[in-house]
Amino acid sequence: MRWPAWVPFAGLAVLAAAAVAAPYVLPGYAVTLLTLMFIAALLAGSVNLLAGLAGLVSIGHAGIAAAGAYGVAWAATRDLGLGAELGVAAALTLAVSVIYALTTMRTSGIVFLMITLALGMTMFGLAVKLSSVTGGQNGLTGVGRPEAVEEWWQYYFFAAAVSVLCALAMAVVSRSPFGLALRGIRESPSRMTSLGYSVPAAKFAAVVVSGCFAGCAGVLLAWNAEFMSPSVASFPRSALAVVMVIVGGVGTALGPFVGAAVVVSGEYWLSSYVERWQTVLGVLFILVVLFTPGGIVGGLGDLTRRLARRRRPAPGPAAPVVRRDDPSTSAAAVAARSHPAGKEES
Amino acid sequence: MIQARTRHRWARSLVGAVALALVLAACAPGEEDSGEAAGGGTVKLGFISPVTGFVAALGTDMRRGWEMYWSEHGGKAGDTTVQTVFEDDTGDPEVALTKARRLVEQEQVQLVAGPILANTAYAVADYVAGKELPAIQMTGADDLTQRKFDPHVLRVGYTSSQSNFPAGQAAYDEGHRTAVTICPDYAFGWESCGGFVSAFTGAGGKITKQVWHPLGTQDFSTYVAQAKQANPDVVFVGSAGGPDAILFYKAWTGFGLKDKIPLIGNCCFADQVFLRETGDEALDLSSFTYWVEGRDSEVVRKFVAAYEAKHKEIPSLYAAGAYMMAQVVDEALRKTGGKIEGAKFIDAARQVSLADSLYGKLSFDDTNNVVGPVYQTRVAKREDGTLWNTVAKTFPDVSQFGSEGKEAFLAHPVFSRDYTGVQQ
Repeated sequence: MRWPAWVPFAGLAVLAAAAVAAPYVLPGYAVTLLTLMFIAALLAGSVNLLAGLAGLVSIGHAGIAAAGAYGVAWAATRDLGLGAELGVAAALTLAVSVIYALTTMRTSGIVFLMITLALGMTMFGLAVKLSSVTGGQNGLTGVGRPEAVEEWWQYYFFAAAVSVLCALAMAVVSRSPFGLALRGIRESPSRMTSLGYSVPAAKFAAVVVSGCFAGCAGVLLAWNAEFMSPSVASFPRSALAVVMVIVGGVGTALGPFVGAAVVVSGEYWLSSYVERWQTVLGVLFILVVLFTPGGIVGGLGDLTRRLARRRRPAPGPAAPVVRRDDPSTSAAAVAARSHPAGKEES
Repeated sequence: MIQARTRHRWARSLVGAVALALVLAACAPGEEDSGEAAGGGTVKLGFISPVTGFVAALGTDMRRGWEMYWSEHGGKAGDTTVQTVFEDDTGDPEVALTKARRLVEQEQVQLVAGPILANTAYAVADYVAGKELPAIQMTGADDLTQRKFDPHVLRVGYTSSQSNFPAGQAAYDEGHRTAVTICPDYAFGWESCGGFVSAFTGAGGKITKQVWHPLGTQDFSTYVAQAKQANPDVVFVGSAGGPDAILFYKAWTGFGLKDKIPLIGNCCFADQVFLRETGDEALDLSSFTYWVEGRDSEVVRKFVAAYEAKHKEIPSLYAAGAYMMAQVVDEALRKTGGKIEGAKFIDAARQVSLADSLYGKLSFDDTNNVVGPVYQTRVAKREDGTLWNTVAKTFPDVSQFGSEGKEAFLAHPVFSRDYTGVQQ
């Protein structure tokens, strides 16, 4: 039982139209939040690329984003021009990504997680201590946006466009032969090795590619705040990116956007009214993991399928309840990788 | 099989119910200001402080101080009704900036006060000043009113180094010739130590060792051991307060240094949080600060009594600081007749001078920073047995530029780990 093929496209078209119309109908502050959401979605997307394809959960990606952001901010405060800003950001991002990749390419699961955590903390430490370059705890002020996207609505379109284009690029990566190889490695590294693939090389490439997207998110962050401080590299930033991915749906293209929308609205909108917004977010996270291990996007997919099935009962004996998504792309599977007892469903 | 599944469902419903209860509990009504405009004009002010996150205690005290001032004055400045919209920055600059945007763009506040941490303060001040609205600050970050001066920003407070210039001078005058400094390894610590070191060496003293510890250190014994080994005449601690100060002092007394090497603290070392935890061990401890809860002044007595009656504790530096911000905003509003017009308002606020305030006799310099007294304090017992700080000596009219004067001071870089103003 499926929806007609045009339904998902129509849905996406409505979303796109809403995104384009937003600055014309919404107040300025709401658009600021949407901008933040698109940037957060890009960072979450880079985490999702690793988690969804290769099953590698990084809780240090804010460190890579910070490299990009500091690159831009450092060049901007020295008035080196747009080209130099992007150049320094790209070089720093690449260098840091390569370090991440080299140190993690032979690991998986909990070891990968711990190394990325340590690297994230290292980046945070560097940002705080190298005060002649980073301004230390005080941060760097006077990071101007490029002239063409200076106004808040221009910047919104710019951030949204970059975020969506990067999401498309990540979708292409995940459907490419390289993406398939990563899935294979996630399922069985030994089999991929015997087929002639180099597992560490593939992981190396995956971390670098994912790091480049994280760096883009960092550049957007620096321009958005027009200010840079070590908190961009801090652990909560990395952890929230993982929360976004799991709440939205691991391994789904839309998941990071949905997760980012939930987390950003919690952090900035809900917190104006509810002092303990983190409790609300935490409870939501628990509920999602318990009830829809595929995240909100996965859960909605299940729901529409179930509704469609109810409309026209399937012929023959009731089919056994089979989880639609292959279990390894779900949040439960990510948890299961580090904690085998999590697989109660199977 | 079926039984197992039913039990499963039960468990899930239970979890769901608990979760729902938690969400409802979290939604407990936050305090929203709902002052209705009545007669005269109305101004809408934004107030940002961290009431969640790792510095929640400071932000909560700030909010209390700000609220206390306006409730004492009926929510009015002259004829003008004052409304405040409160925001939480969680101690994160990005959040602080976004909340400032909300206050300005959505709530259309005319002035933003706070936040407290240096990085959040820079982010907010930069944005608010860019919108040509007045920003009232109480953070310590030196450069805010020095190399990054902006006519829209007024600091109702002291720079991190300001209150430590007298500390360095006094240590020398008391006959100490060598000193060791122990400060946390980030901007606030660098600037606190910078104040002490530049004044102490400027007077002719010698720094034999500068010890830097990470913020949030658990075990201070290695740092204390380094100070002990150097065996100086005096040790200066530039602490950010909280657990760091308490744990440092435990190590200090544990090494038996209490009566061996004289110890002096900065503004935030021997505060109420510290005194509650260390008890009588802290008696006679000396610091250099601007908020002294036991100062013999009518203004301070009234404030402490009112605050204690309401919140059951002696007000901290942060409560006093926010109260002071409110007072200066009030005075300035009276001068402008309730109008808030960007830099003009800050200009009016800068003209405010107070014969006595929580900090003492106060005025502002031409880069919008406080010129006021610094007190050498001593920990003593109040009649009811509570420990508090009392004034031992007053240094009037201390400027943010120390004794050097503005030009000479601004000629050298901002204090950092590599530059604490050592003069040969």
